[in-house]
Amino acid sequence: MERVVVSMQDPDQGVKMRSQRLLVTVIPHAVTGSDVVQWLAQKFCVSEEEALHLGTVLVQHGYIYPLRDPRSLMLRPDETPYRFQTPYFWTSTLWPAAELDYAIYLAKKNIRKRGTLVDYEKDCYDRLHKKINHAWDLVLMQAREQLRAAKQRRKGDRLVIACQEQTYWLVNRPPPGAPNVLEQGPGRGSCAASRVLMTKGADFYKREIEYFRKALGRTRVKSSVCLEAYLSFCGQRGPHDPLVSGCLPSNPWISDNDAYWVMNAPTVAAPTKLRVERWGFSFRELLEDPMGRAHFMDFLGKEFSGENLSFWEACEELRYGTQAQVPTLVDAVYEQFLAPGAARWVNIDSRTMEQTLERLRQPHRYVLDDAQLHIYMLMKKDSYPRFLKSDMYKGLLAEAGIPLETKRRVFPFTWRPRHSSPSPALLPTPVEPTAACGPGGGDGVA
Amino acid sequence: MAREECKALLDGLNKTTACYHHLVLTVGGSADSQNLRQELQKTRQKAQELAVSTCARLTAVLRDRSLAADERAEFERLWVAFSGCLDLLEADMRRSLELGAAFPLHAPRRPLVRTGVAGASSGVAARALSTRSLRLEAEGDFDVADLRELEREVLQVGEMIDNMEMKVNVPRWTVQARQAAGAELLSTVSAGPSSVVSLQERGGGCDPRKALAAILFGAVLLAAVALAVCVAKLS
Repeated sequence: MERVVVSMQDPDQGVKMRSQRLLVTVIPHAVTGSDVVQWLAQKFCVSEEEALHLGTVLVQHGYIYPLRDPRSLMLRPDETPYRFQTPYFWTSTLWPAAELDYAIYLAKKNIRKRGTLVDYEKDCYDRLHKKINHAWDLVLMQAREQLRAAKQRRKGDRLVIACQEQTYWLVNRPPPGAPNVLEQGPGRGSCAASRVLMTKGADFYKREIEYFRKALGRTRVKSSVCLEAYLSFCGQRGPHDPLVSGCLPSNPWISDNDAYWVMNAPTVAAPTKLRVERWGFSFRELLEDPMGRAHFMDFLGKEFSGENLSFWEACEELRYGTQAQVPTLVDAVYEQFLAPGAARWVNIDSRTMEQTLERLRQPHRYVLDDAQLHIYMLMKKDSYPRFLKSDMYKGLLAEAGIPLETKRRVFPFTWRPRHSSPSPALLPTPVEPTAACGPGGGDGVA
Repeated sequence: MAREECKALLDGLNKTTACYHHLVLTVGGSADSQNLRQELQKTRQKAQELAVSTCARLTAVLRDRSLAADERAEFERLWVAFSGCLDLLEADMRRSLELGAAFPLHAPRRPLVRTGVAGASSGVAARALSTRSLRLEAEGDFDVADLRELEREVLQVGEMIDNMEMKVNVPRWTVQARQAAGAELLSTVSAGPSSVVSLQERGGGCDPRKALAAILFGAVLLAAVALAVCVAKLS
């Protein structure tokens, strides 16, 4: 864009310049919108429409600004006068507009207009006052001095420079509601949004009604309920989080002792107590932990319902496996679990079974979803509570041990903090529990 | 008294920075010339001198441990304002370096942007250097050497800022500004009339001027009519 603007300045081949006539002062170097459009169309051999669009882009980025209506940054292909922006104020990515500069500009405007700023500018002013309060003396000093320096110039120059600055800040801090040209947001759905419906026919309204009807039917959860669920989640998981409540035997990142990772490996013979407790939180936790799943499988074997879990695992494999395997897997699953008289027949209700058998004719990845969900809910409601109450689980809990903390060394310079360093999220309280006394020694390390 | 001295130096630096900012605005535009570049050079040299002396003075005061708490707070405020001013100066210097390189004057690679600013800026430079008026005649290829010097000076100022931050540690969040929001309105009674008139002109309303002109014209017309009637009566 800068090259285009500069080539417009060529005295022979550039845009024709006129003068702007205010009552007493005459300011040169004004151009009309139509001249700009014509020049662009001629130089780049494009149609008038495209030249108009290109000119509008130039105006929106602040390279040319309108003289009569400075707040509407668009190019009108008629006699409205425009002027070029000084290179200092060209939009450049190397120097994004700084808060301090904006504060100085607002202070200057405040002085000039005796306190009557536009609403959003007043908002920005107050916010900046809070944000960069420490530099506010500098802001006011600079604002006053810049105004005094500007007085040394002719009136025409002063006007032009004021307009230039105003345009720069209109582009860099657009008023609310105006599109921010400098934003580089994700350009999603731009083609859909630009399809403007000229006539809103009956179809349009039918679609709207359907959409709103569906929206009414959506389940909504009250935020108080959400927050309670969140609090209970945090309360339940608090002791299990290594950052919040320290990890035993010791934080490997601090003490260079990776016993913690060895003890909590996915498949380990003796899971820790915390881990076994976690299996009781929800069925999903149990299934996601390999050791948990293995023990659950043993339990189901004792109850003679192991085929449920096997079926569920097979469905998972189908969903997440490769596309090439899908037909063979579907057949295998059917043979083993779903066919009447199969070796490990799963107990699905008749309606789901009918639908699944229908869909098996055209097998794809998600063809067993309904059946899988049914079995999952069955296990969750039926077998899982029994598992938690069973002797097997209680035995696992009793066996699982809490790892000991690594002993403190005798020599001071090899002391390591017992627990992980205090989380920055925890506010320091004057009355600290004994568990947190350990991290006090770790401050020197942190 | 050290505080008054520091304040005076800071005011001087502030004035020079504002004038420098004002001059840099016009680089690359229609008012760009070798004279402008020379004025820029003189202004920034003055600014640098002031900055060095302020820096030395403030550093000496703030490193003195035996300072009372409220005096220390006062000097910290001055320090924050000074470092902000120096940051502004450095940013302006960098921008003027880039703009000067993009719009060289001696062998014009590209024509200057016609921005409508046509007057001389010697008044601004004179204000910066605190002299009554300034008459400069720069040679044809002033800006070439100037750019090299400017580059060196930018680096120097950058180093000065780094040294400042190393020597004195003033956390910004502990400094509370003296002036409240909107304090600039209380002391600017004199700045009002001329700017108000110019803004009205700019807005295109122009009504008071037009009304005045209309009244004058009407009065002249009435006088002419009265004279004509008298002449007609007499003859």
